Amino acid sequence: MKALDYVRAEDQLPKQAVPPGGQLDPALLAGTWFATDKEATGVVRLELTQRDGRLFVRAFGADQQQPNDWGEIEATAYGAKVTAVDAMAFSAMYDFGFLVTILAAYAKQGILVLDTFNTFTDSSGRSNYFSREFFHR
Amino acid sequence: MSTLNVTRTRDRPPPGQVHLILPVDLRPLLGTWVNYDHTSSGIRRLHIEDWEGTPVVRVFGAALPEPIDWGEVAGAAFTAGVDAREAVAFTAVYHLEFARVMLAAYLNKRLLVVDAYTAFTDHSGRAAYFQRDHLYLP
Repeated sequence: MKALDYVRAEDQLPKQAVPPGGQLDPALLAGTWFATDKEATGVVRLELTQRDGRLFVRAFGADQQQPNDWGEIEATAYGAKVTAVDAMAFSAMYDFGFLVTILAAYAKQGILVLDTFNTFTDSSGRSNYFSREFFHR
Repeated sequence: MSTLNVTRTRDRPPPGQVHLILPVDLRPLLGTWVNYDHTSSGIRRLHIEDWEGTPVVRVFGAALPEPIDWGEVAGAAFTAGVDAREAVAFTAVYHLEFARVMLAAYLNKRLLVVDAYTAFTDHSGRAAYFQRDHLYLP
């Protein structure tokens, strides 16, 4: 049997472990997550949905009147290790035309931690920025 | 002046802010960062240098007998806000023959927190996985 490629020890399967194959189960991530900061100026709500074993995210940004619906996009789910069957993290990318936002998030102990990496593609002069936000169900 | 496009309140600069396109100060990110945990199965060390304003990242993965050199990739630096200039975070993506690894990292009190999002592309059946490492500048 061919040895599996790896670039760090964590990439390798434990001895005699069988690769799980298939899709990670996103059930632990699915649901509506609300920002713990009620005065949040970033993302105020995340809706994570599973369909046919795939994960979709719909984010809502803080705005003056009502949250700004970013629309739904597909996310990539991640487990805690190469033998995982349950998803505990995800990444996704929004392209708004003037801004590209990468979402990188993980769930731990009932809290979802969301990092956003924001790159402006317009000529507004705004700095590309990072944010870290916390959510509960 | 045209209205700025925004997706959230945080995209707006403070009132009266003059928009100047200035390079991001990469200095807080630069150097060779070493994992606090010598037993980590993830990233052993990580080098970042400034190449004409772009952070160039080189990762060494934990392995025996020697760490594995992933090579260099151009990353992207991020500040703490639309009106900030000092880098506090970066992303970098490795497209390896068998996997795609996105590094999403940020500074926290002189610690570099590196989250690696790995998705295998080799049909080995391994699950995509998330791993966090904490690195410091010796």
